[in-house]
Amino acid sequence: MANFKNGLSRRSVLRAGVAGGGAALLSTLPGTRLLAAEPAKPAEIIVRAWGGEWVDALKAGVSDPFTKMTGIAVRHDLTEDNEIQPKLWAAVAQKRVPPIHVNWDTTTNATKSALRGVTEDLSDLSNLKNTLDLAKPVGLDGYPIVNTYGYVYVLAYRPEAFPDGAPTSWKALLDPKFKGRIALYNDGIGFHFPAQVAGGGKLEDIPGNMDACWKFIQEVKAQEPLLGEDPDFTNWFQNNEIDLACTISTNALAAKKNGVNIAWTVPEEGCKFDTDGLWVPKGLPENELYWAKQYINFAITKDAQQIWCNGLGLPGVVPGLTPPADLVGDPSYPVKPEDFEHLIRISNKVQVENESVWFAKFKEIMQG
Amino acid sequence: MNNPTVDRTRFRYPLRWRVMDSLEEGASLIWPRSLSRHTGWLLLAPALLLVGILVLGLVQIAESSLHTLDTSTYLPSENYTGENYLTIVESATYLRILWRSLLGAALTVVFTLLLAFPYAYILVRTSSALVRKGLLVILFLPFFIGQVVRAYGWLIILGNSGAVNEVLGLVGVEPIRLLFNYPAVIFGLVQYMLPFAVLLLAPALTAIPQEIETAAGSLGANWLQSLWYVVLPMAKPGLIGAGLVVATLSLTDFAMPAMLGGGSQDFIANAIYDQFFRTANQGLGSALALVLVAIGSLIVGLVFMIFGAGTLGMGAKK
Amino acid sequence: MFMSDLQLDSASRAERSVAVSVRGVTMDFGSGSPAVKDASFDVETGSFLTILGPSGSGKTTLLRMIAGFQKPTQGTITIAGKPVDADPPNRRSIGMVFQKLALFPHMTAAENVAFPLKMRRTNPAEISGKVEKFLNLVKLDGYAERRPHELSGGQQQRVAIARALVFEPELLLLDEPLAALDRKLREEMQLEFRRIQKELGVTTINVTHDQREALVVSDDIIVMDQGLIQQHDRPVGLYRAPNNLFVASFIGVSTFIDGTLTADGLKVGDLLLPGSATPEATLGAPARGAVRAEQLRIGAGPEALAGCEIEMDGKVEDVIFEGERLIYVVGCERAPDIKFQIYHHDPHSFDIFEIGSPVRIGWHGKDMKIFNHDA
Repeated sequence: MANFKNGLSRRSVLRAGVAGGGAALLSTLPGTRLLAAEPAKPAEIIVRAWGGEWVDALKAGVSDPFTKMTGIAVRHDLTEDNEIQPKLWAAVAQKRVPPIHVNWDTTTNATKSALRGVTEDLSDLSNLKNTLDLAKPVGLDGYPIVNTYGYVYVLAYRPEAFPDGAPTSWKALLDPKFKGRIALYNDGIGFHFPAQVAGGGKLEDIPGNMDACWKFIQEVKAQEPLLGEDPDFTNWFQNNEIDLACTISTNALAAKKNGVNIAWTVPEEGCKFDTDGLWVPKGLPENELYWAKQYINFAITKDAQQIWCNGLGLPGVVPGLTPPADLVGDPSYPVKPEDFEHLIRISNKVQVENESVWFAKFKEIMQG
Repeated sequence: MNNPTVDRTRFRYPLRWRVMDSLEEGASLIWPRSLSRHTGWLLLAPALLLVGILVLGLVQIAESSLHTLDTSTYLPSENYTGENYLTIVESATYLRILWRSLLGAALTVVFTLLLAFPYAYILVRTSSALVRKGLLVILFLPFFIGQVVRAYGWLIILGNSGAVNEVLGLVGVEPIRLLFNYPAVIFGLVQYMLPFAVLLLAPALTAIPQEIETAAGSLGANWLQSLWYVVLPMAKPGLIGAGLVVATLSLTDFAMPAMLGGGSQDFIANAIYDQFFRTANQGLGSALALVLVAIGSLIVGLVFMIFGAGTLGMGAKK
Repeated sequence: MFMSDLQLDSASRAERSVAVSVRGVTMDFGSGSPAVKDASFDVETGSFLTILGPSGSGKTTLLRMIAGFQKPTQGTITIAGKPVDADPPNRRSIGMVFQKLALFPHMTAAENVAFPLKMRRTNPAEISGKVEKFLNLVKLDGYAERRPHELSGGQQQRVAIARALVFEPELLLLDEPLAALDRKLREEMQLEFRRIQKELGVTTINVTHDQREALVVSDDIIVMDQGLIQQHDRPVGLYRAPNNLFVASFIGVSTFIDGTLTADGLKVGDLLLPGSATPEATLGAPARGAVRAEQLRIGAGPEALAGCEIEMDGKVEDVIFEGERLIYVVGCERAPDIKFQIYHHDPHSFDIFEIGSPVRIGWHGKDMKIFNHDA
């Protein structure tokens, strides 16, 4: 709940500090709102979201203000992203009305849905003109999805285990004293690209030649890593099961907020930078489609982004956001161009096309 | 003698019979007596429907297992192909996971039966009602705690800073990694399966008359001989039934490998989940699912072939 | 006399050795009165003893203590001269046939019979020889490979007997194994038990509630009631000279007459009925006379009752036809509370007194036993 409170207080700070905030809010809405042509409002729209800190931040930054403005209630569906995906695909294939209006998704997963053609085009959102390049998905036509913030797969560590300061290289994972006390995502996500560098390979060779990546992962396997998902990392740090992990900075931040002594760094080989976004599945009635798009349009306003992204501790996609005080200058919160120097960005299209192969290869090593 | 004894001896139509009468009357409105020879089919209909739907789902899974995933459109291929099965057969990873699941199921059966047999035996044979009730409570308690919650419990108890390591710490032992390995998964499975096995064994043991064991004793058998030559062979239907249930449940388990295995101890179900939900490869996931169904059916079929369906206490004797 | 043919004289008794000796055995389960109270008796080697009693009399408990399934609260049991109180059942040399037979359903008849030998680590060649011999003894050759459920009730009995005897135990115990059989098969098996027992000469203790079985098969009978041994005697002695009212009523069919014991017999109202009183019966005290149904005579007139010291007029109230004999229930004006039960078998005539016919009944004074009777 700490996050929710943070969000609220930040919002009130904003109100007091930003002159004409209210007017700005109104101006973000399309002019059509005042016209009779505005489609009928549904009683509610359903937004799929991740639970915990994630949904708290979305609610404070986007959903609640949207309801206040439009009178449309927002319901959050906390089905896992990878479990809602086949449902949406099936709904579109069977020409049914999809079970949600807006899907909050990883850009990788959303790209799969876009390739499959189940996403609505969002190119006509009026607020897209105010966003950074980050908002535009790479390798896809138009805006089947709007990226809403970026995040970094950092090397999180327990400071007691590193009395001489933060680890400078991913090779710290290979230190024998951390055997059995390191953790990765169970599909290896976020780790392939830094592993390619740490293993002595080149990023340009992805996906053609990733021998360096697999060689490094093989060495990591000998260290008996734990493999898990977002909540596992927080638990493992909390229960003193691990000292080092490749995880999204948000999880490390959450663990820190829960009182776990934990820090994170971007080692010299770099870290994977990726984005999440919002998209609308095909098959919604005309009016609901309109309001679902308005929800996303609102989510990329500066005001919404300020609260939502600060709640997550992640950099948004509009210029001029104020980072949370404790993340100023943090490597996991890139703002300036030089901040991005150590961050690895690979086209989502390349990622989704090779995911199966990478996944199989990672499993082959890890299930040995 | 016109006293209470007369009242007491008067026949009072039991309430339960009254309720049954009105139920019968109601039922005959919906399902006339003239149709009563079809009642068996009527009662069977829901089960048949359920199995029918299951078969339908299986057919669909079979169909989608014959399409590969096109990663440029994320749609299944148009043409039919056996490539997914080829992928499974050629993949060292899947063969390893299959072997791990089968071995896990076998180990779980062995350990579960070893623990469940004495438990069920004491449950059935104890002359103390208190002991029996106590054993039943201990047995049923875990049923009210779901599998996932129980697995979380083990995470807490067996963790590096959990109760077990804390106790070890008292005697100066450094924390030991008890979780996230194969033994931890088997431990979780055994613990999960124990009540099922006991509940399946208890009726089989109840069916062995105490007199038979007494007889074995009087004929010169000590308790070990009596167990080996008489009780175990007579409990065979229960042991096979329990073993079969434990084996199929373990073989198809998802939660224990996922939670106690630390991500590197996947069973087939975890691999299927990954294909359906992580890489969105429904074709490969379906193929894996069918392989699992086939292996499970094969095991059950083999057991029936070797021991006969009667071993589960179904149908005619032997 | 006829009786002496069946009774062994005391001299030959003494020559025989004692196979089982029970001394002061008590079993108290701690609920109410003890199941068995201070039981003492000997079983001669090679003899057939039946413990007879109603359910709850303690007869089964007594047998289970001899078998070793229960430990007596007090007392000592000796088998073949060796106290066995500390031995578990499998260390006592006892073969037992159980009430429900307790055959092993997963083994063939031959395997069932081989079981006790296997438990004694007998070598396989010897096992197969003995199994053959004993299956032969119980007339089951050709059934060796059958499982119990493929055998008839009688055949199952035979397997159970063979299994109990194959290891040549000192003692054979029978725990009402015939109780569940139909009457014809039961009578056949009674004789089989008797034959096999005599053939092997194995000391046998049988438990039953069936008085007829006890009389047919036994050398000796112990009658038990309420945990106490009521009488221990040869069958004929038991039948002819019951010790007490319980034995008299439990074995055979008798008519009971309540009265007061006088020096001349039983005084019932203004009637004085001669009889033979048991030594325990006290003069002037309430007493009960018992006359067996076969010792009461019945006829149309006095001519049929030659030699009876007591005669009465009566009326037939009921006739029960049992095939080989009839039972008349007769009421008499002179003894209005008593229903006389009389066996009748006339080898010369099938004539039957109709219900309501006037009859004359009578008996010999020596045939009425008079017992103490605390009202």
